[in-house]
Amino acid sequence: MNSDDQLILEFQQGSRNAFCEIFERYRDPIYGFFRRRLANPARAEELTQECFLALLRNVTRYEPRATFRSYLYGIATNMVSAERRRASREIRSDDYKDEGPGPLSGDADATLWVRRALERLDNGDREILMLREYEQLSYAEIGILLRLPINTVRSRLFRARIALKEQLMPVKDPD
Amino acid sequence: MSQMLEHPFEADEVMAYLDGELEPQRAAALVAHLDHCVECQALTRQFRQISERMLDFQIEASPVNISNVVRAALDRWKSETETRKFGFQKLRAWRRLLAGPYGWAFAFVAIIAIVVSGISIKNTLHRERADLPLPVRNYIDFAALQPGVSGSGDALKGAGAIGKLSNGLDELEPKSPERVGPMIARTASLSIVPANYEEAGPTLERLATSHGGYVQTLTTQAHTGSSRALSETLRVPVGQLSSFLTELRRLGHVEEESQSNSEVTDEYVDLRARLKNARATEQRLIELLGTRTGKLQDVLDAERELAHVRGEIERMEGQQGVLLHRVDYATVEVQLREQYLEQLGSESFATRARLRNAVVEGFGNLAAGGIYVLVVLLAYGPSVLFWLLLVLTPAWFVWRRYRLTGGR
Repeated sequence: MNSDDQLILEFQQGSRNAFCEIFERYRDPIYGFFRRRLANPARAEELTQECFLALLRNVTRYEPRATFRSYLYGIATNMVSAERRRASREIRSDDYKDEGPGPLSGDADATLWVRRALERLDNGDREILMLREYEQLSYAEIGILLRLPINTVRSRLFRARIALKEQLMPVKDPD
Repeated sequence: MSQMLEHPFEADEVMAYLDGELEPQRAAALVAHLDHCVECQALTRQFRQISERMLDFQIEASPVNISNVVRAALDRWKSETETRKFGFQKLRAWRRLLAGPYGWAFAFVAIIAIVVSGISIKNTLHRERADLPLPVRNYIDFAALQPGVSGSGDALKGAGAIGKLSNGLDELEPKSPERVGPMIARTASLSIVPANYEEAGPTLERLATSHGGYVQTLTTQAHTGSSRALSETLRVPVGQLSSFLTELRRLGHVEEESQSNSEVTDEYVDLRARLKNARATEQRLIELLGTRTGKLQDVLDAERELAHVRGEIERMEGQQGVLLHRVDYATVEVQLREQYLEQLGSESFATRARLRNAVVEGFGNLAAGGIYVLVVLLAYGPSVLFWLLLVLTPAWFVWRRYRLTGGR
């Protein structure tokens, strides 16, 4: 089985199948990335398409400086940032009043608890925590993506987890 | 968690271990520590619980529509890329090359090369202007072919031709001829674009011969990318000049014509007077030697003087012959220039040659530029270094003293 980095290099050489393989591997993770960060599912779907189209358009400029995964999530992160800036400029932005996700699958209560707890975190800490837990990026990949030193990533991730624990599992008062 | 400060491992190290981000040696030590540390075990459980709770935030599968849109875009991209693939790859390779440190080095070298090339081109252009008239010249002494001069009419070469010309002039002009009236050396110049360039050259020579003249010099030019040209200097008897010019004008379109007359009467009279005196001297010396009565040394001196006078006489007779020839034979300078028609495909050869010459010259300029930079460094480097040291050393001491004293 080819690695992501091999696949993207094959795609650069013109292999259509390589791109299809990449797409199949990352379509759900990338959709999940946008879905957890945006309230509008339709917009998440559009941005997922845009993300892969951006990869398609810019593949000739791709250089294997870091892992392909961090490159792809870098595109997605930039698109989310642009989307948030655009939403903040819009006068009518009913869909974007709160960037929390909309109705989701699974246990709705459990999801709501986690979502509320995440919303209370610092923006930067939350992003690091979500990249680690949901996108499964390494500290180094997160550091490259957010342009932070690895030690900073580790310390902020620790801080985010402790804060989330206090939200989800408050310490019971012995009295 | 503050209790973790008492442990050999920080809490974030435990977290990093669970994330698989701890260094192997440190991770092994932590595993050993976890076996007997209840608090750290509790901490790992908490981190795991957090991760598990976060997984409650589930997302539905991505819509099928995404796949259709992306695959359609992929097909479009594929067809467009096929046509541009080659160009893009080359462009990317150049970008990679120029974006790195090699690019900066290349830019530096290119700037130096451009400066040096500019200087070299300027010098080259200056040199080319100085060397511009470099046609293929055929210097032929046609004087030997002059009818009635050499007598034979055969083409002669080298020193033989010169000797024949000299003899011919001697035969043409008897010694000390008397001339009455002004002596005029006539010169005419014509620039003609002939109707038929190929035939014009032979016709010109035929005309000269039929009028009793001859071709003195002949120069041809045939540069690539420009019209051919033929320059001839003809000598024709002065009595035939008018009719000769009339026939020349029939060769084609006369672009330019000029005639000039130069009077050489004074020069001829002066030469004749000096020649007469020299001959009188020669005669006296001969008489003196015939009736000699003095010492042997006096005789030798007289003979030496006689030889000198005879040499002078021969030189003046030669000058006189040339002068008379100038008067008797008018000089006609004819320039035939072909009407230039651009040839299809002729430029490719010239372009290749020019490109090749440019490459050769470019390498030459590059080498010259390198040598120039080296020469400048060697010529000015030591003195610049010396003056910098001379100026900067005291300045450094003053600055250091200023800093140590705090400006007091």
